[in-house]
Amino acid sequence: MASDASYSYSLTTFSRSGKLLQIEYALTAVGEGKTSIGIKAKNGVVLITDKKIQNKLVDVQQVKKLEKVSPSVGFVYSGVGPDYRVLVKKARKQAQAYFLQYRALKPVKALVQDTASVMQEYTQSGGVRPFGISLLVAGYDDEGPQLFQVDPSGAYYGWKASAIGKNFKNARSFLEKRYNDDVELDDAIHTALLTMREGFEGEMTEHTIEVGIVGEDRVFRVLTPAEVKDFLDEST
Amino acid sequence: MSILQHNGAAIICMAGKNCVAIAADTRFGLQQQTVACDFEKVFKMSDRMFVGLAGLATDVQTLRNTLKFKLALYELREERVMKPEAFSALLSHMLYEKRFGPYFVEPVVCGLKDDGSPFLCGMDLIGAPVYTDDYVVSGTCTPNLNGMCESMWRPDMAPDELFETISQCLLASVDRDALSGWGAVVHVITPQGITSKSLKGRMD
Amino acid sequence: MAQLRVAPGGEHVLPKEPPQTGGFDFGLAARNARLAAAAGATASMPEPMSTGTTICGVVYAGGVVLGADTRATGGSEVADKNCEKIHYLAPNIYCCGAGTAADTEKTTELIASQLELLRLGTGTQSRVVAATTLLKRTLFRYQGHVSAALVLGGVDCTGPSLYQIYPHGSTARLPYVTMGSGSLAAMSVFETRYADNLDEAAAIALVKDAIRAGIFNDLGSGSNVDVTIIRTGGEATVLRGYETPNDTRPLREAYVRPKALVPVKATAVLSTQVEVTDADAMEL
Repeated sequence: MASDASYSYSLTTFSRSGKLLQIEYALTAVGEGKTSIGIKAKNGVVLITDKKIQNKLVDVQQVKKLEKVSPSVGFVYSGVGPDYRVLVKKARKQAQAYFLQYRALKPVKALVQDTASVMQEYTQSGGVRPFGISLLVAGYDDEGPQLFQVDPSGAYYGWKASAIGKNFKNARSFLEKRYNDDVELDDAIHTALLTMREGFEGEMTEHTIEVGIVGEDRVFRVLTPAEVKDFLDEST
Repeated sequence: MSILQHNGAAIICMAGKNCVAIAADTRFGLQQQTVACDFEKVFKMSDRMFVGLAGLATDVQTLRNTLKFKLALYELREERVMKPEAFSALLSHMLYEKRFGPYFVEPVVCGLKDDGSPFLCGMDLIGAPVYTDDYVVSGTCTPNLNGMCESMWRPDMAPDELFETISQCLLASVDRDALSGWGAVVHVITPQGITSKSLKGRMD
Repeated sequence: MAQLRVAPGGEHVLPKEPPQTGGFDFGLAARNARLAAAAGATASMPEPMSTGTTICGVVYAGGVVLGADTRATGGSEVADKNCEKIHYLAPNIYCCGAGTAADTEKTTELIASQLELLRLGTGTQSRVVAATTLLKRTLFRYQGHVSAALVLGGVDCTGPSLYQIYPHGSTARLPYVTMGSGSLAAMSVFETRYADNLDEAAAIALVKDAIRAGIFNDLGSGSNVDVTIIRTGGEATVLRGYETPNDTRPLREAYVRPKALVPVKATAVLSTQVEVTDADAMEL
């Protein structure tokens, strides 16, 4: 937080009705962003995101939305892309600092809490605006597979399955119907693809979506386009 | 005389089969003068872990307080007990942070891992870790302690045998060190719990 | 309406960075200097553990082989009979360390961490020169006070390479390298038997014999031979305890020791984990 001497005011100020409008606007920005979905399976977690680009001239291979943060944790976002990179960079550094101190991987929940704290700080500091993104965090540690969502307010939730971004309400009710506790990772990938396809505008191919998984090996990785294609072919 | 020798100490950690033991003398001296014979230099950090701090008594106590503080915060933050592996990494990190103005303390850590097998670790005053699967020693008579343990240690000792072995190693070693002795404590950690015994030593 | 004010100078105020957590803490340095002065000339400051050490490496036809002994010493006392001196830096880069044990350990851990961050950011394999540069800059910054003498080997898109790094930050890229107190013994082996483009078996044998020369002829080195091979393509094989010519455990175990009883003053059970076997008993 900025010191008193700097005479700064937070842009995120309560309205008379008790709302923090800047945070609500940030959530609107998230709702405008491309859809991302996460599902926690019995033996892992899958993250999937829409990375469709309207302009044909854009090199889609350079578009990366899923990011590895620590060996066993991955992030994906919906909302304002550049804001995302700030959080990824900070989270990676925090994960490394933890490893240097304890020689153990940072627990998923601790990484989520720290990232959420950064986002909260930007709702109460002078001269800054909240992050225009929601995060989905997938990880696997001693507590098993975990899926978290972090919002611009700094609130975080653990989910069995969740969706953020455009169409997230429809996607969530679709997931509610489809989800069961005993689902295996491979089936969860198919459920995620199916959910994504529901609200997808245009053709869903290995180049217009990105899929990341973390399984019992506790290694988060982004699937190659070829692997994504295999899953897409299987599900049609 | 090195500042590490100022107060005197002798500590051993030793592994058995699914158990570990830590033994330490209880003397607190100021060089050749003995001030107290009930000084604590091993500390329980959890139900399955102890740390032994040999060296300058003021640093022993400061470090013990700092460690307890960090451990308590960790347990509140992460809602779990710290593993001995993480604890010794943390301690090593703390010591190396003061690389150019160190605590005059050479710690040993012992505990049981998640699978019940023993964990042992020693380090120098700036945190260079020594991981072993048999024993580690620290204090003002490490040549004695090393010699005793080297000949007495056997693999797969049961708790009772481990207690006898570590106690003999410590008592024999401190009898040939003027700076340590005057009684001793031994803690044996097993998955079922911790048994602590205080030993009679020479008072000269 | 209240007047809206901005920070002096009109610039935006970002949240403060958390207090600097990295770097060294000199908080006790003044006290320690005072203690040393009070103790006078007869007192000696404690010596940190050092790895007297023989370490070496060689480039061969299919990659790089690194070798190290496993003795750590505190003065003339053997502090660790089987310590690990070949440190991980990246999946395709390893680094042998000689000098102050804590310095070699912590410096390589730090650089390994920086390399991992770099890999996450760029999505590419780490380069051996990058590791070398990070290390030499770190060491140069501390003007030799961080006393780590390193042999760094690895394989990247430019092929295999081997560097030697001195505690003050100077480096050299060479086909075969030795460092540590046993470096002369090891170098004598390399100078008589090194050849370009050795095959893997010959390279391992050469490294093993160089380390053995250190183990048996240098008092600062001892115990076992550790070997790590990094092959073109980037995969590494870590052979911990590749040769153990000084294992005394079988001899020790053969000796039957006498039994004696320790005089116990008091016994206390500090804590016992209670297992609930009968749930009904709890309902009382």
